[in-house]
Amino acid sequence: MLDNRSRTGHLPGTMTRRRAIGTLAAVGSLPLAARFAQAQSSEPIRIGFQVHRTGIGAAYGRWYDRTTEAAARRINDAGGINGRPVEIIAEDDGTDPKRGAEVVEKFATQHNCDIAFGTLFSHVVIGSAPRAGELKIPYFVVSEGHHVASGILNRYTLQPGITDVKSQVEAMGPYVAENLGKKVTMIFPDFAFGHDHRDYFSASIERQGGTVVEKIAIPPTETAFTKYFPRIPQDTEVVYHVMVGPAVLTFVKELGEFFGPSSPEIFGFIDSLEAVDITSPGLEFLEGSYFWEGYPRYAQADQTEYDKAYRAAVGVDDNGAALSDSKDVSTYAHMFGCWETLNIVKAGMEASGYAGPDDRAALIEAVEAMTDLPHSLDHPQGAKVFNGRTHQVFGHQYISRVNEGRLDVVHTTSIEDTLYEDETDYTAQAF
Amino acid sequence: MRTVIAMASTGNHETVATNRIPVAVRPAAIARMASITATTVAAFAVPAAAHVSEQALVLLLPTDVYISAGIAAVVLTVLVLAFLPGRISAGLFRTVQLPGVPVPPILSGATSLLALALLASLLAAGIAGTRDPLGNPLPLFIWTVWWMGFVVLQGAFGNLWTWVNPFTGLGCLLASIGDQRPRLRLPERLGSWPGVGVLLAFGAFYLAYPAPDDPDRLAWTVIAYLVVTFAGMVLFGSDVWLTRCESFTMLLRLYARLAPVRLGRDQSRAGFPGWGIAASEPVPPSLAVFALVMLGVGSFDGLNETFWWLSQIGVNPLEFPGRSAIIAETVTGIIVANVALVTVFGACVWAGLRLAQRYGQAGETGFVEAFGRLALSIIPIAFAYHIAHFLTAFLINGQYALVAASDPFGTGADLFGFAHMHVTAGFFNTLGSVRVIWLTQAGAVVIGHIIAILLAHAIAMDMFGSRKAAAISQIPLATFMILYTLLGLWLLASPRGA
Repeated sequence: MLDNRSRTGHLPGTMTRRRAIGTLAAVGSLPLAARFAQAQSSEPIRIGFQVHRTGIGAAYGRWYDRTTEAAARRINDAGGINGRPVEIIAEDDGTDPKRGAEVVEKFATQHNCDIAFGTLFSHVVIGSAPRAGELKIPYFVVSEGHHVASGILNRYTLQPGITDVKSQVEAMGPYVAENLGKKVTMIFPDFAFGHDHRDYFSASIERQGGTVVEKIAIPPTETAFTKYFPRIPQDTEVVYHVMVGPAVLTFVKELGEFFGPSSPEIFGFIDSLEAVDITSPGLEFLEGSYFWEGYPRYAQADQTEYDKAYRAAVGVDDNGAALSDSKDVSTYAHMFGCWETLNIVKAGMEASGYAGPDDRAALIEAVEAMTDLPHSLDHPQGAKVFNGRTHQVFGHQYISRVNEGRLDVVHTTSIEDTLYEDETDYTAQAF
Repeated sequence: MRTVIAMASTGNHETVATNRIPVAVRPAAIARMASITATTVAAFAVPAAAHVSEQALVLLLPTDVYISAGIAAVVLTVLVLAFLPGRISAGLFRTVQLPGVPVPPILSGATSLLALALLASLLAAGIAGTRDPLGNPLPLFIWTVWWMGFVVLQGAFGNLWTWVNPFTGLGCLLASIGDQRPRLRLPERLGSWPGVGVLLAFGAFYLAYPAPDDPDRLAWTVIAYLVVTFAGMVLFGSDVWLTRCESFTMLLRLYARLAPVRLGRDQSRAGFPGWGIAASEPVPPSLAVFALVMLGVGSFDGLNETFWWLSQIGVNPLEFPGRSAIIAETVTGIIVANVALVTVFGACVWAGLRLAQRYGQAGETGFVEAFGRLALSIIPIAFAYHIAHFLTAFLINGQYALVAASDPFGTGADLFGFAHMHVTAGFFNTLGSVRVIWLTQAGAVVIGHIIAILLAHAIAMDMFGSRKAAAISQIPLATFMILYTLLGLWLLASPRGA
């Protein structure tokens, strides 16, 4: 690898375009000195943004990037953090765990970042978190993975802006059992991701008095599914699927064709359709099926002012697509996590009086001390509860039904539905 | 460009963990950490392909119907050629003369120096600019504008590289200092093999190296390549180095032979695309292999993303572990793919010769000559693969390149009015637009193969002089090209996980 330590002396004035977008553009015509005058130091808060710019996560990275820039703009418009402007310093991790660790190291040792932030893909989080712990740099991830709350990472790794898969899946049981049916057939890819769903949801539905009547594990390389469907028992009331990858639409289509009009209820996760325009001709087979949504893609009839303002800030229309291109559908169900995480960072830095890297432990303690996070423009997806012991946030989940080519929310879970027993206590770890 | 491998992902994550631990950490701690990392990766993996890309929509298209139609078109071409009177098929690549374009030679030296200056400023941006590979102008220019885009222009419009390469201007200046004779002589027996090696190394950098897009690493790699190239030009002479070692000039000159129009100082010529290959003299075996490696690297860049390949190397395609985890497998794949391609192609040429001599009363055309001429017939296929493979990436990254070009140094400038453009991927999200994109890619692949078959036939007619011998000689090669069409279309239609 080539050495680029020569850049460690970057001055704010020589910052790159991305940094400029995150800071200068945000402050409009006001001179920096005027806007951030109250700060003892006008040195920016540097947030290392570990972004999937290339590799398999690139499509998600594009929207994580936009949301992050929008959140940074809003924070700077409101005077920054502790009177200091925020700079977003993006580094591509190639959606690659090894590079992820390198990127975290660069944030800490070359770019003089205050924190690292933004990682989505779990394997990159798991590859990077140990390095963040060694370098003692707070690492705020936005990955949905259960890895944070499971206790396998470290005190420097937190997930305060997005809920984890375990709580999402477990929260589905009550609605499914009460409204769709108690006899469930699960269809899932036969590896760790699918197994997590199988285990979490089975436990959840059984607590509701339901049963999983069949578990159909599909080999990850499979691209034709009809041959598996005869294994779905006749008395199945709900088909719960968590297929992922390029064959996911093929799966849903074949499922629809297999059952025809007399289908059991079909329930899945929006990951299958994230960024897909469901009004596109040829996707009619999705009509009537149910999806978990992390955040409703379509503006609902009871849209909050927070959702409205958040969409406007990120540049997303009422259908979850880019304002400038109605076909450019965002990764709406996930990307809010970047927005909310940065607001947690801001709140944590303000609560701890964060002044620089020496205060990193204080920042973490301040975030650990957080509990109720009210529904607001800081948290437009909904109210949340942060668990400082497990470093994981919990919040409402949404269930939507495809209705005439749009996703209409039919149920919002309580936060209580998403809770589970603590599996770790990071606060017991020394810094 | 992307990835591939044989280690289980858990094994690789062990490497991740141990590599990053300071040396002072006790071995037991390392082992514990490695084991935690390994097990947890397995336990909490988010699926690698969690996001639905255009691939999901491609899989909804009736690609089997499209593929059948494409194969039928190529087969039909073979059959028509076999029964067409020889003079008609041979006449396809006839050219017409056009007036020359008298341009003083010094002009291309000057534009080359300008290109070098542009490259130097891009390198400065690569080192000092944003770390974001989709914001920094260097990776966007090298990979998107030049590699994805310029190569296509070169094939369509001829040897533009003469004007914009960064080598010849300064190379001539350097060589003119002092004694103008080359200091050293590149042994003849080396042929163009150094260029083959450089092309394979480029393939490894592009496909196997974990971060070819990283602005800083790319900048230093390009600088090193420039230094080596200028040193080579001075030591061995510009022409020798650029035609036998500098693989990009070699590759671009070969692609330029596809262009319908070739401008010259005294006269220009125009004809059916590829006439420059039909009219070509046999090239040495090393350059013939170079042409095949162009196709081999291009084909592997595509194959390496498929479920099929990932399964071969033990990677769950829904849980891609990242390029770092499969470097050795990718490099091995590049080498194996190219060795296999050259071997199979050579066997087809050899078998065609034997058949033509046995059943077509063909004369004693040697294998080396036949190989040296027919290998060039695959250039349109390599070109078609290039277009098809990079089209989708170009559609996205081309937008980022426009944004970066408008504000190359992140100063807030808006030189071309694109600085605040929203980069859209909307065309990947609907079935209709995905169909158009897919058919464009498939169309390029089919047309490339048809031109290749026409070229191979014309070359065979020229070598053997009789329609019968030419047709018989083409049986193995035409079969190969039909199967290669199938491969190309299958690559476009098959699910990808990397």
